Amino acid sequence: MNKILARVLFYIGISLYAALLVLPLLTMLSVSFRSDGDVYNPSFFPPNPTLEPYQIALEKFPVLRFLGNSFLVSSLVTLGVMLISSCTGYALARINSPVSNFIFALVIGLLLVPGEVTFLPLYIMINRLGWIDSYLALTLPFIASPIGIFLMRQFFKSLPQELFDAARMDGAGHLRMLWHIAMPLATPALGALAALTFLGTWNMYLYPLVVTNSEELRTAQIALRFISSDEAVRYNIVAAAAVIILLPTLVAFLFAQRAFVRGIAMGSLKG
Amino acid sequence: MERVLPSSAKQKRILWKPRPDWLEMLILLVPAVLLLSAFVILPTIEAFIMSFQREGLLGRNRVFAGLENFIEVFSRPENLQSAWQSIYFALIVAPLEIILAFAAALLISRPFVGVAIYRTLFFLTTAVPTGVAAIAWSWFLNPQTGWANWILASLGLEPKQWLLDTSTALPTLAVITAWAGVGFAAILLTAGLQQIPEDLYEASRIDGANGIQQFWSITIPLISPTLFLVTLLVFLRSLTAFGQIHLLTQGGPADSSMVWIYRIYQEAFFNFRQTYAAAQSVILFLVLLILALLQFRFIGRKVHYE
Repeated sequence: MNKILARVLFYIGISLYAALLVLPLLTMLSVSFRSDGDVYNPSFFPPNPTLEPYQIALEKFPVLRFLGNSFLVSSLVTLGVMLISSCTGYALARINSPVSNFIFALVIGLLLVPGEVTFLPLYIMINRLGWIDSYLALTLPFIASPIGIFLMRQFFKSLPQELFDAARMDGAGHLRMLWHIAMPLATPALGALAALTFLGTWNMYLYPLVVTNSEELRTAQIALRFISSDEAVRYNIVAAAAVIILLPTLVAFLFAQRAFVRGIAMGSLKG
Repeated sequence: MERVLPSSAKQKRILWKPRPDWLEMLILLVPAVLLLSAFVILPTIEAFIMSFQREGLLGRNRVFAGLENFIEVFSRPENLQSAWQSIYFALIVAPLEIILAFAAALLISRPFVGVAIYRTLFFLTTAVPTGVAAIAWSWFLNPQTGWANWILASLGLEPKQWLLDTSTALPTLAVITAWAGVGFAAILLTAGLQQIPEDLYEASRIDGANGIQQFWSITIPLISPTLFLVTLLVFLRSLTAFGQIHLLTQGGPADSSMVWIYRIYQEAFFNFRQTYAAAQSVILFLVLLILALLQFRFIGRKVHYE
């Protein structure tokens, strides 16, 4: 009897805690289904649920374009990071030479350089190159990622040498060994790296803010700032736009939670 | 390895190695080296060079100015205020986020029916972009109609202006930041809790230890390295928090949430004082570097012990 009571109390407690943590998102969801008149009604559920805010948000602002931008930029960066990190990580882990040792030391050093320090000179450089307001500016600077290279190097280093010796005997060069032996084994590590990179790029704020001026190039996050200052009073419309912008990462997280969790744990504790 | 190969295989290996390693190494390494040089190394060096320069007048090149920028940074009281605001902000975010996340991680550390659902809910804020997190709170914090003041009123407390008041704007932003980071910290702490060997709990149970005793003598000592590391990480992240401030207060009201990183942005893009902002960036870099080195050392030691 006591045990059952403890169980019930545990479930009540943990549910309350979970609800409290998700509450801000729920209130945003609730507001996004309200008409202008109900926005500041303190009830938890929308008094007269309506899809109007979504309609207005989508009509008034190119929300889908913003999402498309974020999606394009994050996907390109993720693909680039996966490719470059695998190639570089393989070379650093599997080809022994003073050059690769030096580059590995360099990569470790670059892990310590935060993007918040380089964004200003990077902006000046992008400006000088005439890349302001281009997808190039939003993607190219990030496809060689020190943390990605470091993680893939660690992974490839952990593979048993026997695998590569056997392939060597069959006459495979490094490029073939990378493609046919190392890469297939790296799928979980690559998945985690992809999740980490995608999320990180989607979350970028300061840099995309300064290298884009036109509305067409705005990423979803930056766009929210402009939507919220445009619609300071009609909070339902801002909330609707925010819910739309939240959906892609939310869905990705729900479907690939394992990859996200691994990616974050790998990227922080072992990096 | 070479010794165990049969001699015929050894010969075959030599025969079938037409290209030397360095060519492949070049192919694999050159793209990364070029990109890292152009977009990480060069800007870092540039930041340092700029910080010792003065803006050129009428479009002319920047000129060397010695420590001028740094002297100005340290002599202006507003920078001292920004430095303090950044530290104050991080000092609220770090403990709050760690407590919230540690509680969540502890609750889901043992399997039970439905644990997957709670895990998803506790980790959920990782999927919430900074901008959305900021928006999610603004209805809640509306001084006239938001729930925050409604809760205060029901407790018999005075309503607050939250983001609109100089004394509450920064702490409010810190609470939002801590909330947005709970998923991140909970993931790391859960990973840490899972590394504690189950047999330790088993053994202590046989010795008659109860849950609270186990918590203090097994969980806490063994999780404390992870706890320290995650605290450091959260502290680092809070020192560079920008999006939520840009979205909600723009450094205001009356510069009360003008943290260091926001000051850099302000000087570089509104006052057009890029070299001065570069000096501020270099100072931030040195602070973050110290914290990151601490983290590195710590990870190194932890791995060593394992």
